Amino acid sequence: MGDKTLIEIKNLKMYFPITSGLFLQKSIAAVKAIDDVSFSIRKGETLGLVGESGCGKTTVGKCILQLYRPTHGEVLFEGNNLCQLSNKQLRPLRQKLQVIFQDPYESLNPRFTAADIIGEPLKIHGIVRGREYRKRIEEVLDIVGLAPYMVNRYPHEFSGGQRQRLGIARALALQPSFIVCDEPISALDVSIQAQIINLLDDLQREFDITYLFISHDLSVVRHISNRVAVMYLGKLVEVADRDELYKAPLHPYTQALLSAVPIPDPAVEAQRSVIVLKGEVPSPINPPSGCVFHPRCYKAFEPCPTVVPQLEDIGDGHYVACHLYPTPQYEV
Amino acid sequence: MSTLLQVRNLSTYFYTQDGVVKAVQDVSYEVAKGETIALVGESGCGKTVSALSILRLIPEPPGKIVAGQVMFDGTDLLKLSKGEMQQIRGAKISMIFQEPMTSLNPVLTIGRQLTETLEFHQGMKRKDALNEAIGLSKLVGIPHAEHRVKDYPHHFSGGMRQRVMMAMAISCQPQLIIADEPTTAVDVTIQAQLLEMIRDITNTLGTSVILITHNLGIVARYAQRVYVMYAGRIVEQGPAQAIYHDPRHPYTIGLLASVPRLDEPRKVRLAPIEGQPPDLIFPPVGCSFCPRCSQANSSCQENGHELVEVAPGHFTACGVACKELRHGR
Repeated sequence: MGDKTLIEIKNLKMYFPITSGLFLQKSIAAVKAIDDVSFSIRKGETLGLVGESGCGKTTVGKCILQLYRPTHGEVLFEGNNLCQLSNKQLRPLRQKLQVIFQDPYESLNPRFTAADIIGEPLKIHGIVRGREYRKRIEEVLDIVGLAPYMVNRYPHEFSGGQRQRLGIARALALQPSFIVCDEPISALDVSIQAQIINLLDDLQREFDITYLFISHDLSVVRHISNRVAVMYLGKLVEVADRDELYKAPLHPYTQALLSAVPIPDPAVEAQRSVIVLKGEVPSPINPPSGCVFHPRCYKAFEPCPTVVPQLEDIGDGHYVACHLYPTPQYEV
Repeated sequence: MSTLLQVRNLSTYFYTQDGVVKAVQDVSYEVAKGETIALVGESGCGKTVSALSILRLIPEPPGKIVAGQVMFDGTDLLKLSKGEMQQIRGAKISMIFQEPMTSLNPVLTIGRQLTETLEFHQGMKRKDALNEAIGLSKLVGIPHAEHRVKDYPHHFSGGMRQRVMMAMAISCQPQLIIADEPTTAVDVTIQAQLLEMIRDITNTLGTSVILITHNLGIVARYAQRVYVMYAGRIVEQGPAQAIYHDPRHPYTIGLLASVPRLDEPRKVRLAPIEGQPPDLIFPPVGCSFCPRCSQANSSCQENGHELVEVAPGHFTACGVACKELRHGR
């Protein structure tokens, strides 16, 4: 794993307009799904992106892949700003940027066989032809742990875990360098989850793939990620190396999230105290002023409701957006 | 502690076009007064069906409770008439369902849904019931309860809907609450809020709880005794401490080993349970975990359903684990 940056996201914003009116639709408000998010992903690493539902993690993934065209900001991949490319210009790059979706029941076309599902991207990009085509499909199936005789099966003939393997095979077919894993295991059973995590791990090592691993399961994210980014209401609140983040979380939201994860051990649980956050996640249409977390924060103080905290490096690549941790420039 | 509910040798089958699905087979468990037990297992292992069988909410057909007894406070619920059963549901045993999005009636206000139980079971007048409903809503932490009881379920967020379910469940001060994956549909921080609240309220009222979940962490935090289910049967049961610290059944061991833990050093590799859960129309002969089990030997295909006590109160259905015990481990 090198220090080379593969993908860089700068000041990314994604606003979804809320329209009113039947014929003359005019925008009356906007859902600020992502509001000014910047981070980078290094080559060969896994960046975990955690947060609660509706915080914008999936939108970040889709913006990187240009499945949503961001309202503002840059997505730099191999020197190209993806946001400025046309769909036609993007097409050759899409080979290298793939995705694994959350729900293996909905993300596979029920009328396609396994061969069609894996083969479609190969056909579109015109990678292999004739006999090679079949061979490549069987090869990919084998890589993800499915048997070659399953090529003519339809999605409903596979179990949940196998379907997710099929989703992974589809992403792998084009030999991508970057895969967005959008909650790839949350629809699976506990005993199957570990199988898929190990598979993703193996593939990364074998093919040198970079992952953006989106999940709400903090234990799984710790297992698979090198670095972790925490999102809350469309903003990044903390980014740090995995061990650092789990050992010494700085942002009160990260601290609450970690304390809320139950540990499968009654003796440990009896000793732990949970930080129970008050209230619920506010609406991204009208987010709170200042720090978006301040209405629920148990450490909020005077500047929080008014001043927006910036995501600042407080040392060793540990970024946090919280007024509790002033960066040196404020201490003048 | 005296026993409140005793499920004995319960079997529930579903008669489908493809064959008979043996969703729950020969399951026995008991809940003492004021106790919280957990039914743990993966989807399709029969945890929900066994709980629905207690309340006789299994759709018939295709489902049918084919054998067993459900002794609640001295009466067998399976022998009651429909009318008598209605007096139990909601009043003495209530249920919190998994999906707050689909288990509330979308065309009735929250207030109406809360008062229905109160009027039916406690014979309250509409007005008193509404006041009581507002009080309950406040108790479960719904802000501005006076106004919100006039709202419809779609006005509420997922976490708030689950609070409404909770208010409904405790409205008649039942002796037993069955919480079926109460927090699977909500986020971690809301999950913590809800579970802490369920614990506080049931502790105050002395209510027993059957907690159904696949989340081993939640079980560790809230349950006193644990029943592990696999393929329609209970494979291991015992005090939470014993299940987590001294699991005997290979399935329990595998399940605990396959989840990454926040409090332990990061493992380089997870240890998954290979293979898939079996098809319950054609379950494997003998022990149903046998095809996925690393410890399996030839005897596993012949027996392995019987729960054997390996330590006080700790039972396991694994023949191999029991044999080890006989040889003095």
